[in-house]
Amino acid sequence: MNEQRRDILQMLAEGKLTAEEADQLLAALDRDEPAAAAPSSDGRPKAKPKYLRVVVDGTDDGTPSRVNIRVPLQLLRAGVRLAALIPPQALGEANRELSKSGVPFDLTQLKPDQLETLIEHLDELTVDVDQPDAKVRIFCE
Amino acid sequence: MMPQSLTVRATRPNGRPIRIWIPVLPVLLVLSPLLILAAGIAAVACVVYRVSLLRAFGTGWRIMSALPGTRVDVEHGRTAVLVVVT
Repeated sequence: MNEQRRDILQMLAEGKLTAEEADQLLAALDRDEPAAAAPSSDGRPKAKPKYLRVVVDGTDDGTPSRVNIRVPLQLLRAGVRLAALIPPQALGEANRELSKSGVPFDLTQLKPDQLETLIEHLDELTVDVDQPDAKVRIFCE
Repeated sequence: MMPQSLTVRATRPNGRPIRIWIPVLPVLLVLSPLLILAAGIAAVACVVYRVSLLRAFGTGWRIMSALPGTRVDVEHGRTAVLVVVT
């Protein structure tokens, strides 16, 4: 049994966590452990990505242009927490505007922990868009 | 960790580069009266919109701390702008 598992069970025994919370934490550990333990092709454990990279190569009126943005994933996580602070009135207003634009999306249903999970799994994301005059790549590194 | 410096490098169409290095902490100290005023306004806004003051400032600090490592590099023909937060 590793240290984190023992801590969770200890907190459950002391009544600091409910059984449901402990179960969720143990499940989260189970999810994280295989990923952390999975070795890469050269035998070393695979490092967790730290940055989200957006690279756009294209031409604008015949002039070559390139955009290369590197954003720490930590910044995305912090941004998600900021989104959780948006007052309900503002979310209602945003929902109305989205509906007017033909995007019936309810932002109030978006929970911070769901967004957190989304960020957690961003490291598996790679988007490649190839067009004759532009190339877009989004990936984590 | 809070950002320590901001480096801006711009290359003009004539090829002449400009490089600006901004140490964050001294700039924040110089701008501290304005920052205190902004923090006061933010606190009032939090109270008006019933947002937890502690959570709001905590999140602001998290964002500041997560900024190091950010890099924005834009090139268009012979013009280029690079912004790096360290």
